[in-house]
Amino acid sequence: MDNLNRRPRIGVYICHCGINIGSVVDVPGLVEYASRLPGVVVAREYTYMCSDPGQNLVKEDIKNEGLNRVIVASCSPRMHEPTFRKTLKEAGLNPYYLEMANIREQCSWVHPDKEQATHKARKLVEAAVVKAMLLEALEEKEVDVIPACLVIGAGIAGIQASLDIADAGFKVYLVEKTPSVGGRMAQLDKTFPTLDCSACILTPKMVDVANHPNIELMSYSQLESIEGYVGNFKATVRKKARFVNFNTCTGCGVCAENCRLAGRIPNEFDENIGMRGAIYLPFPQAVPAKYTIDPERCLQLTKGKCGKEGPACAAACGPGSIDFEQEDELVEIEIGTVIVATGYDVFDCTRKPEYGWEDIDNVMTGLEFERLVSASGPTGGHVILGRDKKGEGGYEPKKVAFIHCVGSRDKSVGNEYCSRVCCMYLAKQAHLVRDKLPDADIAVFYMDVRAFGKGFEEFYDRVRREGVRYIRGNPSEIYRTGEDHTVVIKVEDTLTGTPMEYEADLVVLGVGLEPRRDVREIIDLFKLSQSTDGFFMEAHPKLRPVDTASDGVYLAGCCQGPKDIPDTVAQAKGAASSALILMAYGKVKVEALVSVVSPDECRGCGFCMEVCPFGAIELVDQNRMGNIVQVAQVNEALCKGCGSCAAACLSGAIQPRSFKDEQILPQIAVLGVRI
Amino acid sequence: MVDESKLREKAAEVLAREDVRRLIGWKRGTYGFEAAPCVIKDASEAEALIFDPTCVQNPASFITLEEKKPVPRGQEADTRKIAVMVKGCDSRAIVQQLVEKAYDRDHVIVLGIPCLGVIDRRKAAALFGDVASQVSAKVDAEKVAVDVGGDVKTVDRKDILMDKCLRCRYPNPLVYDELLADEVEKWAGDEFADVGEFEGQSPEEKWAFWEEQFSKCIRCYSCRNVCPMCYCVECVVTKLQPQWTRRATDISENTVYHIQRAWHLAGRCIECMECQRVCPVDIPIMTLNRKLTRDVKEMFEYEPGVDVEAQPLLASYNPQDPEDFIM
Amino acid sequence: MSAEEFEPNIVAFLCNWCSYAGADLAGTSRTQYLPNVKIIRVMCSGRVNPLFLVNALQQGADGVLISGCHPGDCHYMEGNYYARRRYTLMHKLLEHVGVDPGRVNMSWVSASEGAKFKDVVEDTVTKAKEAGPMEQFRRRRINW
Repeated sequence: MDNLNRRPRIGVYICHCGINIGSVVDVPGLVEYASRLPGVVVAREYTYMCSDPGQNLVKEDIKNEGLNRVIVASCSPRMHEPTFRKTLKEAGLNPYYLEMANIREQCSWVHPDKEQATHKARKLVEAAVVKAMLLEALEEKEVDVIPACLVIGAGIAGIQASLDIADAGFKVYLVEKTPSVGGRMAQLDKTFPTLDCSACILTPKMVDVANHPNIELMSYSQLESIEGYVGNFKATVRKKARFVNFNTCTGCGVCAENCRLAGRIPNEFDENIGMRGAIYLPFPQAVPAKYTIDPERCLQLTKGKCGKEGPACAAACGPGSIDFEQEDELVEIEIGTVIVATGYDVFDCTRKPEYGWEDIDNVMTGLEFERLVSASGPTGGHVILGRDKKGEGGYEPKKVAFIHCVGSRDKSVGNEYCSRVCCMYLAKQAHLVRDKLPDADIAVFYMDVRAFGKGFEEFYDRVRREGVRYIRGNPSEIYRTGEDHTVVIKVEDTLTGTPMEYEADLVVLGVGLEPRRDVREIIDLFKLSQSTDGFFMEAHPKLRPVDTASDGVYLAGCCQGPKDIPDTVAQAKGAASSALILMAYGKVKVEALVSVVSPDECRGCGFCMEVCPFGAIELVDQNRMGNIVQVAQVNEALCKGCGSCAAACLSGAIQPRSFKDEQILPQIAVLGVRI
Repeated sequence: MVDESKLREKAAEVLAREDVRRLIGWKRGTYGFEAAPCVIKDASEAEALIFDPTCVQNPASFITLEEKKPVPRGQEADTRKIAVMVKGCDSRAIVQQLVEKAYDRDHVIVLGIPCLGVIDRRKAAALFGDVASQVSAKVDAEKVAVDVGGDVKTVDRKDILMDKCLRCRYPNPLVYDELLADEVEKWAGDEFADVGEFEGQSPEEKWAFWEEQFSKCIRCYSCRNVCPMCYCVECVVTKLQPQWTRRATDISENTVYHIQRAWHLAGRCIECMECQRVCPVDIPIMTLNRKLTRDVKEMFEYEPGVDVEAQPLLASYNPQDPEDFIM
Repeated sequence: MSAEEFEPNIVAFLCNWCSYAGADLAGTSRTQYLPNVKIIRVMCSGRVNPLFLVNALQQGADGVLISGCHPGDCHYMEGNYYARRRYTLMHKLLEHVGVDPGRVNMSWVSASEGAKFKDVVEDTVTKAKEAGPMEQFRRRRINW
């Protein structure tokens, strides 16, 4: 390395910053003081060190005086450290041989007393000098980025991100847990406020991801493990056994018609209000259109026996695609970037027992109602309740009530946040009821109506004009009286202050959005953090809303927080472009200020490993005088140089570069001495 | 009380095993109130082993020392197991060492001994004066019978047992492969009254106390060397680059040394009191450790050395940690 | 040295992303505060080994300060939580040894809290003044 072993030859440069520093601090006196400090060969002053002539001063001294350490006493290092690092680099000196003394923001601008300010400036320069003596040359490394992206979750966010990246010419692995892509959006009937048919706008995109040459769709699969760092991840994906030959299944559906359990298993896609068999396609437009056997319900798989004649599905299947011997498959993939788009779950209404969702069949969640009114849903889009198992009978509700903020803005269930979509989806659902049941009495119970988006307020107005009553009040209880379907909502109209009991024969709960119940799995895989609401935390709430603290891992959609479809798509496109930046450039810089381990001093206790927020440290075997011991090892591509490990280490074996104990202690020695 | 013949039998049995390298236990000392710790390699030596209230020293300290021994070139590292006899308090050191990944659990065979208390040699000296003969003792829930060269004298527990025993919460080993006697009943709780009492003083009073105590320190590092939790390859206290403390034995360096030592045991001290026991100049070292132990328990609901699965205290956090002193 | 003329010397450890930026903001907005505080920049309050505080007191500082991002705002997500635990315990330990608790301080100062930084400095200096010169275990300077 350039001049690691040579004696330090330090140049100190004091900046006047016009009159910003010079009018308070005695700069010539400071130069004179600095020139007498040990190791200092040159000390100079200049009006503006950051100007070209100022920087040239440094460059020339490096050349002519053989400087190997540079101290610039001027503004905050947060301002011009990059500038002067570049100066050193241009002069052929390692940029990390620079140390700055902040004598403007933290001295001349805040201390009007000239004598005191000058004294403090001296101390700061002296501290910089003692630290500079011990600075080390650091290497800025770049690593290649594997031009492939892993997208987790194939809802609208994952689909959009995948399409964007694939269209840009990069490989995408799209992993989806369920048998079909589409996610929550596929479950919806119409979208607010434009009343587009959700399936109609989504299905083309679903087909696109399945057919795109750059996208490898891994449906009915789960991420098993991931290791590595930005640009170079290795992931293992578990392709769950469908027990159906993926390549030969034509999706004709004869198997499902013949399944002995057909129509007897609640369909998750229909929020369990519709039924399916043990072999099923979650919904008609499912992509890929391949059947799947539910291993927990299938008689052949659970009991080893299905009827007297053996499995009916296998007998019915023309191409002979049913394969009960199929096993899970583990696939290893290498990717450079990851987009997490795992979506949300709706609020679990059993946590609000006063609304009776569990016991009363005509109290349903907003998502259940979506399936009820959907043309592809169990009732074919007719608002009919109380049908028997064969799908006959039932009644049309006459009085329909919608309730806002169920599981949102509610501290009693632990969700303080607003779910952002419920106001509008309830307005849309009220409109759908009005559309399908023109005579029905419709009431909406709300706390506030937040119609903040494009076209939202107009839509809300329209729904009210359609004869939907908005009553301001948060129901305290919902219960059933007597034999018929009547459900009573106890509520106080807070605008008039009158308690009332509203009778309805259909109640729709405007359930809020919550983090996925199995969110922990993803957190553990990626070391993501959660914000207080439990959703994944972005790297910065304002300026880095799609990044995470793990480089190369981005967030899209509701896993980061509740949002509607356009916001989700926008964020997905943002995440895709963030991932594309890395992949298009093909290289990524890794932090030079990382921690280093002195393996001979390490006792392998793993405190540093536990502390590291980035999972950058692992314990590895080391041969120590014939004994195999475990010592810490830093993955430089993951380390961000925060130094928490060093404070946790008892033996001082791990140290962050440029902020090592031996570099900080001399600073303390200088600054600690009283005036 | 453990049956010593059974203890020897068990030790011989363990030592006879192929995969066991040596056993750490206690044997009768040459004289005085403390038994000598011993390392035996052969089943035939098991006859020397004893256990009674003179078995004060914490044998867990030796396990980590064993690990560090260099292997001569051309030889294989001996990875056979170490058997170790532990009292309740000693077993906490093993738990904490396991938390800190000092060795694998299956590297040690722990022979647990439920214990009713051990003798404090300073208290004993006050009662018996200097003793030049061998001492043995028996302890029950009320009294301690001390046999000084055949002369048996019965004394009150509190007059002779170590303070840690009087407030012991873990008389039974927390980790063991085999228990050599029936578990004993816990007889006391720890109220940390001593810590509260000390805290009641003014900063001036506290410093006056410590100034006197720390001035005595000769920096022999016995407290560090005996500590079962101090097993770094190279101790930061004696490192030269960076140099945290100078080697001068003045009040400044001594104080910093003791603060540093106590700090390094924050959330790790298992209260075996070995540091204080071995101090040649009688510094009440545990006063610092007890303070941290109490605070760690109160503020972070954490107790080191009781749960092998626990996260190390200072390598974990709770977002709701107290922050009363933060502006 | 009488109490009136005693000007305490404070060594402060500020995290790069919040508190150091907050101190810079105090400068940019020309918020005047006492010059007794000398700042050492670290990347994260989690970097601050509490023994740095002891070392500073030994070197002759009359007060010490750690300042980091507010809980939950750490640039490195968790560093300040570790710092808080370590600081709280060290504060208690030093108090037990007889160090005036007013000498040992920690604060949360965000990048936007220049004014708060001034208050923290003022507070720290006042407390150190009340505690008087730190003599307890100050290192003797040997001049050959």
